[in-house]
Amino acid sequence: MPSASNSHKTNEIAVSVRDLGLTYTTAIDRRPTLKARVKAFGRGGKQTRVIRALDNVNLDVEYGQVLGVIGTNGAGKSSLMRVIAGILPPTQGRVEVYGSVSTLLALGVGFNPSMSGRDNVYLGGLAAGMSRDEIDSHFAEIADFSELGDAIDAPMRTYSSGMYARLAFSVAATVRPDILIVDEALSTGDAKFKEKSLNRIKELRSDDRALILVSHAMATLEDVCNDVAWLHKGKLVQRGEPTTVIKAYREFLQVGKSAAIDEDV
Amino acid sequence: MSTPLQVYEPFRAGLPPLGKYRKSLWSRRTFIAEYSRSELREQHFDSAFGQMWLVLNPLLLSAVYFLLIVIIRGSSDSTRYAHLTATLFLFYLVANSLTGGVKSITAGQRLILNTAFPRIMLPISAVVIALFKFLPTLAVFLVIRTVLGIPFAWQMLWAIPVLLITILLALGLAITISCINVYFRDIASFLPYMTRTLLYLSPILYEASDLKPKLKTLELFNPLFPILDSWSRALVHGQVPHLSHLLIALGWAVGIFLIGTYFFLSREREFAVRL
Repeated sequence: MPSASNSHKTNEIAVSVRDLGLTYTTAIDRRPTLKARVKAFGRGGKQTRVIRALDNVNLDVEYGQVLGVIGTNGAGKSSLMRVIAGILPPTQGRVEVYGSVSTLLALGVGFNPSMSGRDNVYLGGLAAGMSRDEIDSHFAEIADFSELGDAIDAPMRTYSSGMYARLAFSVAATVRPDILIVDEALSTGDAKFKEKSLNRIKELRSDDRALILVSHAMATLEDVCNDVAWLHKGKLVQRGEPTTVIKAYREFLQVGKSAAIDEDV
Repeated sequence: MSTPLQVYEPFRAGLPPLGKYRKSLWSRRTFIAEYSRSELREQHFDSAFGQMWLVLNPLLLSAVYFLLIVIIRGSSDSTRYAHLTATLFLFYLVANSLTGGVKSITAGQRLILNTAFPRIMLPISAVVIALFKFLPTLAVFLVIRTVLGIPFAWQMLWAIPVLLITILLALGLAITISCINVYFRDIASFLPYMTRTLLYLSPILYEASDLKPKLKTLELFNPLFPILDSWSRALVHGQVPHLSHLLIALGWAVGIFLIGTYFFLSREREFAVRL
């Protein structure tokens, strides 16, 4: 995931999703164990459950677009993002990605809680395919933006969830990829940091970049996005003008323009 | 550095495109180095006392086992102690690769769920970490050997191919077990018993030639047997190892590595949903 190398023109396709289907089998037990398998042997109990996460989704994202993705929990939003980022292979269909994707759905940082924030930023970046020099050149900005101060060298298990989210967001927003995916990382942190990250998102909007934001914060999406896609139970329900789609989604939820949806940025 | 177009399509069972995979793995070699370094630093092996512990731990361990040998056999000598330390230290290279490798995928959950990268990096890193812990003990062994007054010989160089075979075997085992642990999370809890059994089945507390003829068949099922025997012959006794032992060891190592890697690569794309 190198930073933007070549510039892309507005309206060029950034991501093309065709007939995308994703099914996966997950273990019913939270922790599949040999013991459980042996105990269930002979009883013929099913160990796995098939989940249809995405069903025939067609979606194009162009450069210059800021796409908001909405939907209830379990609608397949995160699955779609993971397919676009190349983390989950699709079961059906085809996904084409033109450009570098910020595969940091922000939270790959911090995979090892006993290591410092600094180590985690480096490891996350290196795993994503960046070079050490690239991370070096971004690191000061990341540390600065996250406002962690000296805590950057403390083990991440000592971090509060807010500090954690701040660092994750800083990494995703500082490394400037062609296609940036932010998966609900906006909704953490204190009011001040929310404001700051929202401003950063607005700064990142540019003609040669595609942004995909997954969020439950309707007001924010209406404010930032120029396009919204609504997923429900793995299917794309509606796609279009933010105000129209969000209005339809609100009606669907039958909650109206309640404070609960707007509050969270 | 980036290819402008990436296409993600359904994968068939079997291996991912190997050329691309290898390239992608190679471009991330700094991750493996950095990961090992951070991990060792986190375990305080960068400080003087941490380093000392790294050396002290195997020494204490070998002292305890030596005591055991002396009590059971009633006598012992310096060669036996040299044999014990040499083989025990090499055994711990494999054992540490296994214990580090078993949880490498499940512990890397966050990274796997959020980043696309060759998953095999994680068990490889575990082996690199085990190797970094092994190297100081090798130096300790050479000091012990000198103090015990065992003469050096050029045949000791045979230890180098034996070490390479061991590393390949450790890689294969770590890759296999990290993958199994995704599906059966309790493998990690069985592992201490498995390594302990392997320890007693291997010519560490005894020499390969001491084994009763009735138990000779045990050799056949233990890849570490020919490895540790060759290691001891070369490093302790200054002899040329049996060629047949070297070949059997190489066969085991290559076999386990290839099977484990195939198993891992054909499943790694599924890890993200299994975690």
